[in-house]
Amino acid sequence: MTGIDVAIDGIDGPTGPMVAAVAFGIEPGASLALIGESGSGKTLTAKSLVGLLPNGFVARGVLRVDGRAHPLDATDASWRRVRGREVSLLLQDPFTSLSPVHRCGPQIAWTLEAQAGRRLPKRELDLAVAKRLAEVNLPARVARAYPHELSGGMRQRVAIAAALASDPRLLIADEPTTALDASNQAEILDLLRALQIERGMAMLLISHDLGLVRGRTDDVLVMRHGEVVERGATATVLSSPEHAYTRALIAADPVLAIEADRHDRPDRPDRPDRPGDALGHGADIGVSGRIPLISATGVVKRFGLRTVLDGVDLSIAPGQVVGVVGESGSGKSTLARCIAGLEREDGGSIVFDGRPLAPGRRSRTPEQMQIVFQDPYSSLNPMMTIGAILREALAVGGRRPEEVPALLELVGLPADAAAKRPAQLSGGQRQRVAIARALAPRPRLLICDESVSALDVQVQAQILDLLGRLRDELDIAILFISHDLAVVRRIADTVTVVWQGRVVEHGTCAQVLDEPSEDYTKLLVAAARRDSTGRTTVA
Amino acid sequence: MTAALGPVGVGFRSRRRIPVTIVVCLAVLAVALLAVLLGPLLFPDATEQDILSSLMPAGSPGHPLGTDELGRDILALTVAGAASALVGPVCVAVGSMLLGILLGTLAGYERGPLDFAISRWTDLLLALPVLLAAIVVSGVFGGGYWTTVALLILLFSPSDIRIVRAGVLEQAARPYIEAAQMLSLSRWRVMFRHILPNVSSLVITNAMLNVAFALVAFSSLSFLGVGVPPGTADWGRQLTDNRAIMFDNPAAVIVPAVLIIAVACCVNLVGDWLGQRLTRSGGLA
Repeated sequence: MTGIDVAIDGIDGPTGPMVAAVAFGIEPGASLALIGESGSGKTLTAKSLVGLLPNGFVARGVLRVDGRAHPLDATDASWRRVRGREVSLLLQDPFTSLSPVHRCGPQIAWTLEAQAGRRLPKRELDLAVAKRLAEVNLPARVARAYPHELSGGMRQRVAIAAALASDPRLLIADEPTTALDASNQAEILDLLRALQIERGMAMLLISHDLGLVRGRTDDVLVMRHGEVVERGATATVLSSPEHAYTRALIAADPVLAIEADRHDRPDRPDRPDRPGDALGHGADIGVSGRIPLISATGVVKRFGLRTVLDGVDLSIAPGQVVGVVGESGSGKSTLARCIAGLEREDGGSIVFDGRPLAPGRRSRTPEQMQIVFQDPYSSLNPMMTIGAILREALAVGGRRPEEVPALLELVGLPADAAAKRPAQLSGGQRQRVAIARALAPRPRLLICDESVSALDVQVQAQILDLLGRLRDELDIAILFISHDLAVVRRIADTVTVVWQGRVVEHGTCAQVLDEPSEDYTKLLVAAARRDSTGRTTVA
Repeated sequence: MTAALGPVGVGFRSRRRIPVTIVVCLAVLAVALLAVLLGPLLFPDATEQDILSSLMPAGSPGHPLGTDELGRDILALTVAGAASALVGPVCVAVGSMLLGILLGTLAGYERGPLDFAISRWTDLLLALPVLLAAIVVSGVFGGGYWTTVALLILLFSPSDIRIVRAGVLEQAARPYIEAAQMLSLSRWRVMFRHILPNVSSLVITNAMLNVAFALVAFSSLSFLGVGVPPGTADWGRQLTDNRAIMFDNPAAVIVPAVLIIAVACCVNLVGDWLGQRLTRSGGLA
């Protein structure tokens, strides 16, 4: 019996079942795409196959590699014998999956030595590393480079070489190209496909993007809300999808969206209202191309005679982190407040999950979106205890008051904080409470309006880490408003630059912040660099 | 007084030392409270007239503070008069506080036409001279004790409404209120559970001031013969009635006058102190 056989009976999270029973097999040399939006359970499924589920998550079931059974709820020690040898995991973000303080060569060499079970002579090792690098189309000199010296695409190639160094039977690639720009995406996926066939290795490719797997996997499995909704040969599913959800995914084809986005750019400055844009085909479907969780089109807001927002478009996909940057007075906070319903826009449309929202709070529910404000000192009611604040927010989401300690733990606060009042907590702790309150109704979008600006640098980093972790664990989309480019770069997938109430530039973090095309963005980036010499932040 | 003093024991986690002045004030108010509660029991027949022993000076046997023209014992009359002198003002302060909380919060949080209507209403009431209005209304409606209480509640309420409204306006713009709105909490919950505790220091301080103002207003009205019917045991009434015998038995006038001033001062001082404590405990004004 060869190949991979997966039988998951279910994955339970701290708040209940997350993934229902899933079973699939992958022949040696075949590949399977697991498709789904954020929160569909695809990443949990992938992580359960390498024993890397987050704390509090338990998978039941069994993974068979060439007939060898590995129970999914095994101890970490027994997983360590499976990980890297039988199953390798390639992660989404090449910026963080490689160690920043080691050269690329050794990072591949470790795996080679672990696989050989002994120290290898340097010459032999160098040759082996060069061979692995050649396999991913990189020159041997990359071995001496540090990850930060390489481009995103090159880094991901190094990560692939490292993941394949142990010659695994199964490679799980979890959104391997999400962090890359469009041209690199295709190259990396084609490379993975070629390597997988060449090596007779099974591959499980996790993606939110049906279009990207076209012609690159044999079979496809579409997941939604923890259940498989459609499966079949990739070509069949793409040409004649049966499930409505699959059809919707195909309709949001990213290649078209990205193309449309580019062609759209030049006429943007003095755009009139464009009625055909309401659902965002020509506008921003987001660089990643998922069905937008929220899309704002042509939003206009005036305060008296002053026009603060002058036809702003913004769209956020489920689970995506979108940064909005601009100097103070650019209108970025007003945009966030219009989306949250705290300000009533004067024109344009805001659509949440396909449903248009009327201006103001009344059309919105707490489960749709929550906001974390800048100032942790005034955003908590000083007369209420932390426990009372959180109990109230939990009740709004229909949750029980007993969940307060779990909620506090989620944001990294001790359970005894519940008895305290805001005045007894530090700024960072208060901001954690504010985040916990915002998360209590389980919103699908978290709006962070300069949420770390009032905090000192260390606390800022902690809160950013927390937000990143929550995004991964809860699959929550984040609209991150900031004037600080360095902060946005740390957390956002895509960046929208706002100036005088208009979007001047939009794209992935790397595109916008490394190669800004608009004069204003260039100024902003240059200013941030100057700024960073005086402060400890790094742009 | 109990209602207004209630919060002293509640809501403070760190018990700081209470200043001596406040201890003295609280003691004075406690004695006044005792007089209100026990007065009718100790001196059930304080208003009984006894012409034979009229106009006895202070220090006379059986009458430590002497008697008035009608032979009523000043001590008994003063103790029994505490109820009439204090219950009315406290009712006025509490009543106008409640009215102020309700209308002031509505005006400050809802804004719009409701705010306009409530604000113009307070302007109208503020334009009326309190004592003149009281005299007219009492004259027209017969001037009972509780009519006066109701009238003073109405006339005192504009200051409460305005103070609460201003406080609510300031709080409503704060992010914690927007956070409550993000949770789609009902407006009543936002107004009375989130905003009100944060303006409570203003409200309570003002209510304490109002007790003192109402005490003086009541005494003035009684002095003018409007608030309290003649023959009733009441400090203000004593001032009016005993003006003529000021030189025969000075205690008949001085004792109630000093008590009015003392109680008014003590309530003011305690109110100030309480307001500061509440502000500090919350961190916001």
